Amino acid sequence: MKALPPNLLEELAAAVGPDWVISDPDRLLVYESDAQTAHNVAPQAVVLPSDTDQASQVARVLHRHQIPLVPRGAGTGLSGGALATRGGVVVGTSRMNKILEVDPSNRRAVVQSGVLNTDLSDATAPHGLHYAPDPSSQAACTIGGNVAENSGGPHCLKYGVTSRYITGLRVVLPDGTTVWLGGQGREAPSFDLVGLFVGSEGCFGLATEVEVALTPLPEAVETLLAIFETLEDAGRAVTSIVSAGLLPAALEIVDRNTIKAVEASIFAAGYPTDAGAALVVEFDGVEAGLAEEAEKAEEFCKAAGAREVRRAESAEERLALWKGRKKAFGTMGRLAPDLLVQDATVPRTRLPEVLASIAEIADRYQLQVANVFHAGDGNLHPNIVFDRRDAEETRRVEAASKEIMGVCVDAGGTITGEHGVGADKQKYMHLVFSPGELEVLRRVKGVFDPDGRCNPGKVVPEDEAPSEAGPNERTEAKS
Amino acid sequence: MTGSLRSALASMVSEGTLIPQEERGRWTGPGWSPELPSAVVAPTREDELAGILGKASEEGWRVLPAGFGSWIRGGGPREVDLVLSTRRMTRILEYEPADLTFTAEAGISLGSLHDITSPHGQWLPLDPPGGSKGSLGATVVLGAAGPLRHHYGTPRDHVLGLTLVAGDGRVLRWGGRVVKNVAGFDLTRLTVGSWGALGIVTSVSARLFPIPESDVTMVFCASEVAELLPAARSMALSPLPLAAVELVDSLALEEHGVPEAALLVRLLGSTPQVEEMASRITNDLQDSGGRTLKLQGDRSRALFQKLEGWEDGAGLVARLSMLPSELGTLLEEAEGLRPLATGWSDPGATMSLSAQVGTGVLRLKISDLPGTAERLDPWIIAFRDLRGRLEEKGGSLVLHSGPSVLMEEVGPWGAPGLERHLLEGLKAEFDPAGILARGRFGLE
Repeated sequence: MKALPPNLLEELAAAVGPDWVISDPDRLLVYESDAQTAHNVAPQAVVLPSDTDQASQVARVLHRHQIPLVPRGAGTGLSGGALATRGGVVVGTSRMNKILEVDPSNRRAVVQSGVLNTDLSDATAPHGLHYAPDPSSQAACTIGGNVAENSGGPHCLKYGVTSRYITGLRVVLPDGTTVWLGGQGREAPSFDLVGLFVGSEGCFGLATEVEVALTPLPEAVETLLAIFETLEDAGRAVTSIVSAGLLPAALEIVDRNTIKAVEASIFAAGYPTDAGAALVVEFDGVEAGLAEEAEKAEEFCKAAGAREVRRAESAEERLALWKGRKKAFGTMGRLAPDLLVQDATVPRTRLPEVLASIAEIADRYQLQVANVFHAGDGNLHPNIVFDRRDAEETRRVEAASKEIMGVCVDAGGTITGEHGVGADKQKYMHLVFSPGELEVLRRVKGVFDPDGRCNPGKVVPEDEAPSEAGPNERTEAKS
Repeated sequence: MTGSLRSALASMVSEGTLIPQEERGRWTGPGWSPELPSAVVAPTREDELAGILGKASEEGWRVLPAGFGSWIRGGGPREVDLVLSTRRMTRILEYEPADLTFTAEAGISLGSLHDITSPHGQWLPLDPPGGSKGSLGATVVLGAAGPLRHHYGTPRDHVLGLTLVAGDGRVLRWGGRVVKNVAGFDLTRLTVGSWGALGIVTSVSARLFPIPESDVTMVFCASEVAELLPAARSMALSPLPLAAVELVDSLALEEHGVPEAALLVRLLGSTPQVEEMASRITNDLQDSGGRTLKLQGDRSRALFQKLEGWEDGAGLVARLSMLPSELGTLLEEAEGLRPLATGWSDPGATMSLSAQVGTGVLRLKISDLPGTAERLDPWIIAFRDLRGRLEEKGGSLVLHSGPSVLMEEVGPWGAPGLERHLLEGLKAEFDPAGILARGRFGLE
């Protein structure tokens, strides 16, 4: 990676003010990874604009010097997407944290992209509205980051993912030009550029302002926790619930290893540690008839072999039932120093066989896998715990991980359901795309970013052929 | 061109693909010269379709993608040499009811699809103009949605993946059949609503929903649409999960025994939910004035099926859109055009409107427009002015279909934004020879 031009930092400081350009190596360490700590590369500088105009000026400076621009929100991503793996300057949105407009009469809001997901829902709650997508990191992650990753969350089963709720975007393109895509609830005579931009992982430009659709808060919620002897039984309960035409807001499973980790932690949620799996089922909507739906779901759980079904009677009890699911990621650290989080999605009916294959693969490689997943969506998070300092174990993790991906894709699934490709899963892209399709992805990026400077080295692998030396290795060799 | 194009096609396609010349008439666009299209083809296989597009790109044949041809005049397509229809690609490729997803070829009609999924208690909750007669592919490519959009959204919210044959014949598969998928950029959404300008969609995977147990429509009547504006706005802001909220004028439901303007509120869900919602909104709207009807089950469905056919046979269909809170402005603007319609003497054009209250889209239908160019002049001026006023307030006007002179003079689409170069860049990537659906979105 080439050194930054001598006057670059001054030009950036002229755009945003000297306090908001970071180049001290110690301070840059904060930006060397995201929540998936397998990748570590510090950027050459970080710049923090406060609004669209500043962001546009920053982009113009970087364009003039042909320096890579890497957008970054709160850094809670799980695919190494916000790292300057090819060098360059990280443009962070942390100062762009203003809610610009809440418009309850049109159920919309316009926010700067650095606004936190929960801050938006908190601001709209007095109007009886919320921003529906609820990734587990919602207290820390930004709307702009959600746009970049097309984030999901437990309630996406009923409500849909981020792209359903984004109606307009103000985007600074890599050359510094600013455009509004969609917006104002407009029936734009245009391709769906908003839909295309959502999930583009910072490769097309920097979203600085986001128009979102808001959803009425449900007037009633019913939450159940069902305890099963085996993961397979829990999976069968999910299939029965969905096949019966019930549409829960969430259907979430944690497996035995996850329950053990949670219960051994300070977040102990009272899940029985000898259970094979726990299933959280939630319904929301109009109060009338909701309890009947919950009762039906309870019957299906019992018919599938649930040994116990708890039903929340209050908001506190509901939080308690959710606790074991919500805190699952955080407590994995108790099992081993490192965690490889996977994110494949499979058709829901294939879950039982895929879970059995994952267990078999883990056994064969002598690894411990803890499963947490959005069962209603077929979105799996098999988490492999390991110790990166153990090179031999790390190799086994990589090999098992690759086999698990293969199993999921062969079952009609895909390599990532909500975490994104980033720097982490490029090596699996050839499993789901042909060389011709990958070339189209590269060229579509080129329409937005002709110089290839916007978050370079992410999402689409640059080499045509599948390669064993994936981006993981490249990243590590650099750092 | 006609003879050589047809003979070139005849030598490369299988039997039945080349549609007989005498059936060509129904596949012509607005204002096209009478000898066009030179040919219409309807292949049954994706590889054949890809071969035809590849050849068309090489030869520079201009192509318009189509399903059954119902929307062929939509969006002001320029003259083409070849219409390429997917109407013979009608297979279900995959349907696993427990997954609530399916994959089907693009030419299947929404009605046939419903016949296959409804025995399993599942449906694709889309009720676009044209209804069950339309093809799945056309519905997706036009991003077409009807009143159910209020709750269920548009095709962009249902489609999980699709196969796109690009303008030069490349076969590209985007997305998949799982409900969450963020691998690669979202070219599925780019394709949905692209009006055939990027390629031809040959198959679609989409999400299904359980068919609700209960279907009720509350009909609030009044003598004028404007009287229902407060009720309509209050329904747009209701916290209840209403399936559809549609405001229609007196002409829309005439044949249905409702000779008045009406606010239609459709309720779908479990029986206790629907009954609860029905009683609450009746209570909320008790001061709205006119009589209230409650249509249950088949009568509710029939009413909305009727609305699906609302655009059929219209001389002109326009879509006015603003933020939902500006519904009153949209109604005023629409009413402002009415004198042009009623003032017409021979035999008199009729104007009707239907508004999606929750999304701020008002559809305007005009029948029996005058046939001559000069008599259309007042309409041309009126629509140009209307577009100007709407765009100034952040809204838009799309002339969906209409007399060719009017479409030409007013233009189907509004002014391009700063993002124009992105549209052109994307178009060039998928359709490098520029043969597809020329004119749509003003792209050549």
